[in-house]
Amino acid sequence: MISGGMNHISLWKGMSGTSMPNWDDVLKEQERWDIVAYIKTFSGLDKPAKGPIDYKNQIKSSKESIEKGKETFKKMCAECHGEEGRGDGTKKLKDDLGFRTWPRNLTKPWTFRVDNDPKEIYTRISNGIPGTQMPSFADPTSKKTLSDEERWNVANYIVSIADDVKRPKDDTVLKAIRVEGELPDKVDDPKWSVAESTSFYMIPQIIAKERFFTPSLDSITAKAFYNGKEISILLEWDDRTKSIPGDEKAKEIAEGDVLEDSVAIQLPVTIPEEMEKPYFGMGDSVRPVNIWQWKSGKKDASEAIKLLNANGFQKVEQRDAGKTGLRATGIYNNGTWRVVMKRQLATEEKGKDIQFEEGRYTPISFAAWDGSNGESGSRHVMTTWSWLLLKPATPKSTYIIPLIVVVVVFGGELLLARSSRKKI
Amino acid sequence: MKIPRLLLFVIIVVISYGIFKAPGILLNQPIPSSLIVMYMFFAVVTTLLWITSTEKGMQGLVGPIKTMIEDPSKKTLRNIVFVIVPLVAGGITYMQLKPSYEAPVELRSIHPAPPSTVKVFGKTFNLATLVNPYRKFEKEDPAKFAQFVKEGGEVYFKNCFYCHGDKLDGKGHYAHGFNPLPLAFTDIGTIAQLQESFVFWRISTGGPGLPKEAAPWVSAMPVWENFITEDEKKRERQYTTRNAGGAMVRMGRETVLQPNF
Repeated sequence: MISGGMNHISLWKGMSGTSMPNWDDVLKEQERWDIVAYIKTFSGLDKPAKGPIDYKNQIKSSKESIEKGKETFKKMCAECHGEEGRGDGTKKLKDDLGFRTWPRNLTKPWTFRVDNDPKEIYTRISNGIPGTQMPSFADPTSKKTLSDEERWNVANYIVSIADDVKRPKDDTVLKAIRVEGELPDKVDDPKWSVAESTSFYMIPQIIAKERFFTPSLDSITAKAFYNGKEISILLEWDDRTKSIPGDEKAKEIAEGDVLEDSVAIQLPVTIPEEMEKPYFGMGDSVRPVNIWQWKSGKKDASEAIKLLNANGFQKVEQRDAGKTGLRATGIYNNGTWRVVMKRQLATEEKGKDIQFEEGRYTPISFAAWDGSNGESGSRHVMTTWSWLLLKPATPKSTYIIPLIVVVVVFGGELLLARSSRKKI
Repeated sequence: MKIPRLLLFVIIVVISYGIFKAPGILLNQPIPSSLIVMYMFFAVVTTLLWITSTEKGMQGLVGPIKTMIEDPSKKTLRNIVFVIVPLVAGGITYMQLKPSYEAPVELRSIHPAPPSTVKVFGKTFNLATLVNPYRKFEKEDPAKFAQFVKEGGEVYFKNCFYCHGDKLDGKGHYAHGFNPLPLAFTDIGTIAQLQESFVFWRISTGGPGLPKEAAPWVSAMPVWENFITEDEKKRERQYTTRNAGGAMVRMGRETVLQPNF
């Protein structure tokens, strides 16, 4: 049973990712409490069936507690939530109404219905989530029970795996860092650790026919490097399923037919001089876009990169990616896809391919498809325009001029001191 | 007690800076830094003119500085100041020169001037003279009108609420993924201020139908002409216009809570 306070918080803050909005701007505090009292009468719960949930034995988070929680998590929770908690389990889930549901990706607390306070997580583990297959781990009649201590340890572990890098922030500029020498073209190249990450929300394509309302992906993180010749972009996004058509394991977990997973970058063919960009939905009749689309491959076909030029979604030209030097490769690991795309800064067909330029703010947008969630064609998630910037090396004058100012001002002071001494 | 002139000067300059910075810190509506530089210039010059307008004031301002430099007993203080001043000057110069990699600021018109006519559903509508054909029922047959508004509400919840929200506040499920954000109809400056023909145009032609100054390339508003019928659109507009804006905000929320209108 969820405590009265919980209901009250939902009425106040709403529940993120659901149709439950916040009501604190409409209802007064007393009204909210009145509603809580009323809701409790629905199922005869105005008198608690058992006492409200008890937090008195809370275990403070520590390295030891997290380690223990991790062990318990792998045994009891990974079947649905995945080895590393990204919701990439092996069990197909549905809610009480029979609709397909996907387990929570526990590394993204900003997608939680409430938040990732250890108490909130402990409450979910103890009570389960009614309407879903998330059971109560404190129910003595259930086969799956955890001791009070184990539940606190798991809660501490879950709080510890939050990955804030993947949380989209206000900054929408993907900064490509200039490096000397070869660019990484593998996803696991250690060089990537020094690149700057920028994350973006992805929302389902609800703008043109056929609109898509049941996404399973929600954000994408990008990093980039460039040198004098090439640009290399790493895309990382959490996907609960590795969708390989023809693969038996993929078929077991998929919703409907297994289609390929996919990711795409969209760029204008011409970097705009002013504000005016191509329409973010695959360009328009006067301003075409380049689309680089990587597909994960099938059981009998390897991964591939496609190059498309589009003047709107009805006017799409398939081009030869190899001719422009565009390459891509990806790896799936424990609920995350990582794909690297690489191309030369300049190509031969200047009127058809984007020519990258250092220091120019270049519109960029992303799209992704989860093939185990029936996504293909217009059914996908996407971002609107953000920015890619090939960040120029900071000019040396940025450091030298302030030094000169320091010296000049200090010199001025010395002169002042000397002249005043002379006067005496 | 009379405040020493030098201290007074410093206090006035610091307070002025605080006042110019306050809107940015407190209300998140910062004054552009170039303007602040200009305001500060005037604040400093005016204060200097005022203080140095009398001989005594001039003495009060320059005196302590002179003493600090000349008086051998103030040597330590002088040395500290002589180190700090160049470092602060260098620091300010660096902050000014440091390149910024923030997204470029792009201004767009939220409610651009509509065209005189719009061609949708195979017909040309004159937006200057177009009136909502259902509006007349508001007086003639309120029950019928209420029914239309209710139907409009259904269309809204089947199509629009994913972005514009349950409470018409622009905070729908997917609103966070868009830039510009979906419009809040509860905002006094939106629907309540607009003519119904304007709203009809906006719904029918969506983002791509916007003129250049409104940045059609980033608006995620669908072209509803492709989805819903002319009739549905008018009723839906009735719903949003009736339920939003100004004094009607409160009422709008209540209608959402009790969909019987």
